[in-house]
Amino acid sequence: MDAAAPRPKDNQGEPLPRVDGRLKVTGQAHYPADLPTGNIAYGALATSSIAKGKVTKLHLDDARAVPGLLDIVTYGDMDKVEKPKFGNSGATSVGPLHDRIIFHDGQIIALAVAETFEAAEEAAQLIRAEYEEEKPTATFDSPGTATIPAAGKSPLFKEDVKAGDFDAAYAGAAVKIDQRYSTPTQHHNPIELFSTTAFWQGDQLVVHEPSQNVTGWKVELARQLKMDPGKVRIVSPFIGGAFGSKGPMTPRTAIVAVAAKRLGRPVRCVTSRMQAFGTQTYRAETRHRIQIGAGKDGRIAAFAHEGWEVTSRPDSYVVGGTSATGRMYDYGSILTHVSLVQADRNTPGYMRSPPETPYVYALENAMDEMAVALGMDPVEFRRINEPKTEPIGKKPFSSRSLIQCYDQAAEAFGWAKRDPKVGAMRDRDWLVGMGCATAIYPTAVAPCAARVRLTVDGDVRLQCGSHEIGTGVRTVAAQMASERLGVGIDKISVEMGDSSLPPAPVSGGSISTASVCSAVLKACDAVRAKLYAGATAEGGPLAGSHNDELDLADGKIVAKSGASAKVEDVIKTMQVGAIEEYAEFAPKGATPEALKKLYAGTPEFHGGEQDEDSVKYAFGAEFVEVRINRYTREIRVPRLVGAFAAGRIMNTRTARSQLMGGMIWGIGQALHEATEIDRRYARYVNRDLQDYLVPVNADIKDLQVILVPEIDHAVNPAGVKGLGELGNVGTAAAVASAVYHATGKRIRDLPIRIEQLLA
Amino acid sequence: MRPFVYEQPTEISTAAAMASRFTRRDDQPTRANAQFIAGGTNLADYMKLGVAQPDRLLDLNRLADPGLRQIRVTDDGIRFGALVRMGEAADHPDVKRRYPVIADSLKLAASGQIRNMASLAGNILQRTRCEYFRETSWACNKRVPGSGCAAMEGFNRQHAVLGASDACIATYHGDFAQALMALDAIVHAEGARGARNIPFAKLHRQPGDTPHIETDLAADEIITAIEVPAIPWARRSLYLKIRDRESYAFALASAAVALDLDGDGVREARIALGGLATVPWRAGKAEEVLQGKPLDEHSATIAADAAFADAVPRQHNAFKTELGKRTLVRALLETRDMKV
Amino acid sequence: MSQPSALSATGLNRRSFMTGTASAAAAVPLLGSPVKAEAAHGSGAELRQPVVTSLRINKQSYELSIDPRTSLLDVLRDHAGLTGTKKGCDHGQCGACTVLVDGKRVLSCLSFAVMNGGKEVTTIEGLASSDGALHPMQQAFIDHDAFQCGYCTPGQIMSAIGCVNEGHAQSEGDIREYMSGNICRCAAYPNIVAAIMQARDETKGA
Repeated sequence: MDAAAPRPKDNQGEPLPRVDGRLKVTGQAHYPADLPTGNIAYGALATSSIAKGKVTKLHLDDARAVPGLLDIVTYGDMDKVEKPKFGNSGATSVGPLHDRIIFHDGQIIALAVAETFEAAEEAAQLIRAEYEEEKPTATFDSPGTATIPAAGKSPLFKEDVKAGDFDAAYAGAAVKIDQRYSTPTQHHNPIELFSTTAFWQGDQLVVHEPSQNVTGWKVELARQLKMDPGKVRIVSPFIGGAFGSKGPMTPRTAIVAVAAKRLGRPVRCVTSRMQAFGTQTYRAETRHRIQIGAGKDGRIAAFAHEGWEVTSRPDSYVVGGTSATGRMYDYGSILTHVSLVQADRNTPGYMRSPPETPYVYALENAMDEMAVALGMDPVEFRRINEPKTEPIGKKPFSSRSLIQCYDQAAEAFGWAKRDPKVGAMRDRDWLVGMGCATAIYPTAVAPCAARVRLTVDGDVRLQCGSHEIGTGVRTVAAQMASERLGVGIDKISVEMGDSSLPPAPVSGGSISTASVCSAVLKACDAVRAKLYAGATAEGGPLAGSHNDELDLADGKIVAKSGASAKVEDVIKTMQVGAIEEYAEFAPKGATPEALKKLYAGTPEFHGGEQDEDSVKYAFGAEFVEVRINRYTREIRVPRLVGAFAAGRIMNTRTARSQLMGGMIWGIGQALHEATEIDRRYARYVNRDLQDYLVPVNADIKDLQVILVPEIDHAVNPAGVKGLGELGNVGTAAAVASAVYHATGKRIRDLPIRIEQLLA
Repeated sequence: MRPFVYEQPTEISTAAAMASRFTRRDDQPTRANAQFIAGGTNLADYMKLGVAQPDRLLDLNRLADPGLRQIRVTDDGIRFGALVRMGEAADHPDVKRRYPVIADSLKLAASGQIRNMASLAGNILQRTRCEYFRETSWACNKRVPGSGCAAMEGFNRQHAVLGASDACIATYHGDFAQALMALDAIVHAEGARGARNIPFAKLHRQPGDTPHIETDLAADEIITAIEVPAIPWARRSLYLKIRDRESYAFALASAAVALDLDGDGVREARIALGGLATVPWRAGKAEEVLQGKPLDEHSATIAADAAFADAVPRQHNAFKTELGKRTLVRALLETRDMKV
Repeated sequence: MSQPSALSATGLNRRSFMTGTASAAAAVPLLGSPVKAEAAHGSGAELRQPVVTSLRINKQSYELSIDPRTSLLDVLRDHAGLTGTKKGCDHGQCGACTVLVDGKRVLSCLSFAVMNGGKEVTTIEGLASSDGALHPMQQAFIDHDAFQCGYCTPGQIMSAIGCVNEGHAQSEGDIREYMSGNICRCAAYPNIVAAIMQARDETKGA
């Protein structure tokens, strides 16, 4: 079997090819900007070239003179529209055209609309602004930052976790470290450009835009436009990569909707790659101080993690990864604190494993340093500190297979052949280093609705307003239906990515497979129950059998007795054309308002550390080999092995691909990705894919993903833990560990680059 | 993008005449109303960004002269027609055998697609990728003479440590040009006032006080061919490119090296450095240091120190001096150890 | 500024093409009339004139009257309705817009459409045969799960076919290097390499 389709182990589903694969390889998968729309007008944004101040004058005459120019939407034109709200569905509270204040570099100052893309671009470039400029604050250490406690600033980060007496334990520890780490600004840069196409059908608004959250956007856009949400439809059938960037809606959407209304025709605005750096969200830069104290036996007695995160002036975006790092090991005592540092920047937002990528990187790099300080093998050090219960609330883990992950990954990697001495391993002119780190991601689930119809012909139509961002959610949803209804995967059609479908939560936080599959399972079981009832009813083909004696497979209902009936025959006897069920799934512990909130686009998340019964996390272990040239010090990562346990794996093919992609993201975080800020102007400098480097094909050679079997019935009815974000959590720290092993240099600031290794 | 008129001349002389007609005598080619386009990989990018604003585009791809599309190998050397695409030259068996440094420099540049599009002449004329040059809202003396240089005190990790001035520190990012520099190539150009040959070393101009003047070419001059002299010992040559990722990235530092060895002794060394300077950069002092000496890590290091004696680092690119030296040392030793 | 007619003996004479271009694709939006352009800019009517260009796309002929600024990418997507080719950066940095022109892979975003007059353009829509059978490269991408979101996939597949045609798929190392102009942000790289290895020997040109 080829590498892309791992043989399923216990509690793992078949590696079926993606149900939308054919569409994707033939160019027939329609991403929002591909959807045909007649009589379209093209929009292009003009954005600010300062980060702080006021627009005193806009010169629009040159732009208006461009032949084909239809309209310019700018200050004054959005006054009848509500300002955006910052939150799960809204990227920022800045209404860029509501007033002339500039909060950040690249803020929208106008939208030019023209008959052609070329004319719109020309006009937008001709719009000139005059500013009353103020000295902006760029980032950490810039004059003018304000630092505030993060706890309570976000519903997702309520408090700074702590346990025991850290000060005393740290003071008494035999071996300690106290170090600082940092991670840079990063932008998601999905390959699909951000776009909005809006058109009005009477009083109804249709928006084609790549979205991870069609229900939330529908509600938020309706609020901004003061409309009934029932009259707003967001359509996003395929999404060309998201990684969090298409979770919250940005102000562009309402601006394009207004332009479409003014013109009475569809308007499409595709944001340029450069403009996306300022008009979308990003991963803010972070800083960390970590203190670890341990006994000579390697048992940790004290752990402190202090974090600082940059946010915008108007909005408090917090990731607060200490809630994950504080639960990673059996620390003894724990002290954490997170601060927000406000600067003149656009508001940050979710980016693949938002808290864990920076915070767990810092923790795991520190753990590696601590292992060195103790003279201990880093795997052994983690084994010694494996907790029996979660170290803060002392709740059990619903499941925790970290050590199995380490064992299997270490074996596959050949960790035993590593010479632990720094700089001991070489291959001609290349210094070789090997390192490892832990990956962790909270397992959450949210309410979700789904509709399933089984026709007399045995066709299944499955509808759910979730989002195909590349995770394979269409495929696993179809697999779930196939399994529960005994129907071949080729008989199932899946509709997603449309706010007129049954609502699903935002496709973020690695919740989609669990939430969608739980809802699909519930809908399918309801269909099944009706089928069984029909089959066993008086006069039915299996009359006299009890429901719990029946099974459904290969298009047949089979009774324990051996008697069976074809599904189509059962439906016929029921004298209907199809059985259709609409199911609403609410996780255990959901509040009475949970389902209402789903429809309102503000779904509750459950799981992680919030549940009463247990804490729920997925774990993994990553091992990497680095090679560093002895002269020129460029760093390459020719080999990676990751082992991950994430409950039930619906499809080993799509799961492996996601984890693989995550690990490669981790290479980007370790070595390449950083949005550079010109500190004088608080402006991004490298705003394109030429200068914002992400890994390319040649960077990745030998990569292995191990899916460690794990059964967890506590997480959700589907038994699924999310893994879309797990893969990229451990990689960067593993690379830092390997770089140390190769060179003896401990690099604490990401990305690790040539210049840090030359000195 | 500004609108433009599109023309497809079929003769070099007509193309030059057209350009001459729509430009002033002292116009810089990059600032002229009429500009030539071949592959478009650099010019179309800069037109979209508003950095280049020609209102007349003269497409050279319909020029009839077959020599423009040929690679001719003779006893005198090798002659590349200006419209030969990078990918063709990189894959040419004689180029690979006789001038590995040329083949390497082309293969390690850009991507497969861009190498299929970009002409050799266009490639050597590619303009800097300085972020502050690319984005029109920054101050840039190269783009708008006299407007200042935002890179000087800004984020300048990729910028030049050699050949910079108080007006401009933008790096010349091309790779092929370094090989041509090392091999003393000659550029053939034809303009409305006739044809001439330009030694490659004279083609690009250091920024000085006039960073907007990038080359020695007039706005109506078309490069027709690039000629590399016969250098039998150039079989011992290579191009080493150091970058943040393994492929599809500009050089942080690169070295084009060709060596004529007598045992371990250096009869002649040719060295050019890329990613480090404002123009294709010949390291003449390093060549002199090596001449007549045995090549080992020690002598290579002395040569590298000589090459960077005049380096001027800025805040974020200071590492490039050290990286440049090490790149050169490694390139020299790897060239020495080539099996030819 | 002089009238262009003096020099337009070479190359295309736009005016003569403009007459008798009734066959231009119906969906082609024209920029404002030349008269309007002249009034707006006064720098010669020629500056805003559409150019008529003939393209062969997936073995079909298109005669298009377009703004010369239009990239081949935008012509494919907005004028020919072939949205399989994707815009990922519009500056030649990602490879999502890769198509074959006369059999060679190029970036359609950096090529003005008018420069491709008379050339044969092949896009992702032109690969599968008329009976619906997939090109071996398309099938290999499915077999090896060589994509996740699928957005870069048309460009990857066109680039892969070009890469094989060029003879640059001799080894996995070769493929990795010569496919590095196609960024996959989902990072399906190892699967892409496996897919190309599989399809390599079955691919005899697009």
